[in-house]
Amino acid sequence: MKLTRRSFVDRAFKGSLLALTFKVGGATVLLTPEEARAQSVPLNNLSTSQAARLGILAEALVPGARELGVVHFIDHQLGEDPNEALLIAKYFGVALPYVNFYTTGIEIAASLAQDKLGKPMEELDAAQLEQLIGLMAPPGTVVDGFPIFLFNMCLRSDGVDVVYGTPDGFAKLNVPYMQHILPPEGWNG
Amino acid sequence: MAKVMEPVGAVVVGTGAAGSLMAAVLAEAGKDVLVLERGHARKMEDLYSSQTWARRLKWGSPAVIEEGPDSIWYNFNAGHGYGGASIHHYAVWPRYHEDDFEVQSRYGHSLDWPFGYDELRPYYDQVQEEVGMSGDAEKETWRPPGAPYPLPPVLVSNHGNVLARGFEVMGMHTAPIPMAVLSRPYKGRPACIWDGWCDAGCPIGALANPLAVYLPRATKAGARLQPDAHVTRVLMDKSGKRATGVEYYTPEGEAVIQPADTVVLCAFSIENARILLNSADGNNPNGVANSSGTLGQYLMSHPAVGINGLFDDDMQNYLGATGGQLLCQDVFDKNGDPGGAFGSRQWEIGLALKPNDLLGIAMSRPDIFGARLHDFMVDGARHMGSMVGVCEDEAQAGNRIELASQKDAFGFPLAKIVYKTSDSGNGLWRTAAEEGVKLFKAAGAREAWHGPKGGQHIMGGTIMGKDPARSVLNGHGQAHDVENLFLAGPGVMPTSSSINSTFTAKAVAMKSARYMVENWAALSS
Repeated sequence: MKLTRRSFVDRAFKGSLLALTFKVGGATVLLTPEEARAQSVPLNNLSTSQAARLGILAEALVPGARELGVVHFIDHQLGEDPNEALLIAKYFGVALPYVNFYTTGIEIAASLAQDKLGKPMEELDAAQLEQLIGLMAPPGTVVDGFPIFLFNMCLRSDGVDVVYGTPDGFAKLNVPYMQHILPPEGWNG
Repeated sequence: MAKVMEPVGAVVVGTGAAGSLMAAVLAEAGKDVLVLERGHARKMEDLYSSQTWARRLKWGSPAVIEEGPDSIWYNFNAGHGYGGASIHHYAVWPRYHEDDFEVQSRYGHSLDWPFGYDELRPYYDQVQEEVGMSGDAEKETWRPPGAPYPLPPVLVSNHGNVLARGFEVMGMHTAPIPMAVLSRPYKGRPACIWDGWCDAGCPIGALANPLAVYLPRATKAGARLQPDAHVTRVLMDKSGKRATGVEYYTPEGEAVIQPADTVVLCAFSIENARILLNSADGNNPNGVANSSGTLGQYLMSHPAVGINGLFDDDMQNYLGATGGQLLCQDVFDKNGDPGGAFGSRQWEIGLALKPNDLLGIAMSRPDIFGARLHDFMVDGARHMGSMVGVCEDEAQAGNRIELASQKDAFGFPLAKIVYKTSDSGNGLWRTAAEEGVKLFKAAGAREAWHGPKGGQHIMGGTIMGKDPARSVLNGHGQAHDVENLFLAGPGVMPTSSSINSTFTAKAVAMKSARYMVENWAALSS
């Protein structure tokens, strides 16, 4: 199914502005990342273990991001033409292809968990995950030549995109989404 | 073997702020115009109201290699597809001041333009009238002479009113921000509904992006648009002094030669320079239009600082335009910096906020995560204020565009940027960061902070000047070395001021376009 303006807006009114085209059983369907996750749509760019770790980190950064499909969102976008990509990594001059940036970031985060906290990332509790992010987040932090702070910032932004960047997300914040509709009278003074 | 197309009168490269205008003026004068766009075709209905989807409008590839201590934020500032960078610009359109055109001769800094404000003024007035600008000229006490705005000011919500308090307390004053956004219906286009989606592209055409104004005019007058045409070189005749057209590649990798009487490069600051550098041949070993050796030099970017704060007031920060509600240029005096840094500054006040993206609520405090984040988001959604300080960057020859060792898909070297913010620019930025927090506190913020240095707008690289030995272009945007080659866009600007570049780039493009029309017989022969 081609993503058209009409189908896009239809999805928007159902609560998400992140409807993307996924391959399911040989067919192309329009799903939100949340739906793709719920249906266990196969990932194309991240391995199972990479995806699991990415989900752990994203959830620790932005609660709710994992259930809303942040991993499927990122995995989907890693396969896009860089000019069409929706990842904020695009803004920071991250070297192409973006998949290398994400997989390296996941690998280094896992190494930090093991080396500094003595456990695989999957076994960290909430407080330890907070410690791990504290190791990654300070601006300018580089590990083995890799800007882990930038990876952390981008992943946090990806999480914010799926949790707060949609009409549902705006509703959580109690602010109007204001798609392009007629304005209420009097706004224009 | 390249495919050779039928000749045209003018081939315009790029559909952004400058290219769309050049194409419209030339086509309306009866010239046979073909516009080549590297990105995809795009329609108004492709502009979705979403900060996440807005990233499709930004540059992604081919990569631009950035070296040096500072970044110009190329991918964030540039665009691709119909409309170019202008499709996601915020339409904040103040004018350059008179002294911005004479910075070297008046102050001994940066460079001079080949003409003064008075010569450009009628083109500012013309563009302003054509696109429909909103503002209040009388309240802009700093504004240089010019026609009043055709439309009343943009919306000022609580956001603007609360922040204006801080300026008043500190003895400064604000004025409605001048914008190329319609506050009333104008020439068949609807008024803005103040929904803050400017960065995502304005699908109703209230913001004067190229899809709303100049591209429709161009096509109505007969100009043809060719998307997915990746221009690689300007082609030259045997004398090396006259352009014969351009070479471009299709997405399938087919090389195409487009002959033209005149060539107009409007592919934004970096790509214009890259195309000319990649056009080197036996007659022009250092690139076309580069006998001066200045091609690629004097790259500039505005050092910018975001100020955010939390107030007890309901700020209504979701209303308005992305570029802001109010402007302050009380700090424009180039010798006014308390720390002695040279150059001007300005404040853009009350930017409409969204939860996500680079300028959104969450990114204003990237250190907050986990359980605290939601509380911060809820607070910010109602109570956050936002403004941006923009600072002047000095023109420095060492800040430049070169060809990289890496190549694109068609085998042509990528652009490499070597850039360091001028010392003055850094000094102005520090002053702005400190002043901005004070202004927010004065406005009643219970908490206020500033962000890191960012880069807004990209200027220079293919500068105009009177002296052919020290510049690439003359005051008509015409290459000193190649009579039928013109460039337009912010890359031609020899000084940065602290003013958003699009309006001035448009006015200069209008001046160049009028010159081309008036001298067409000589240029095209």
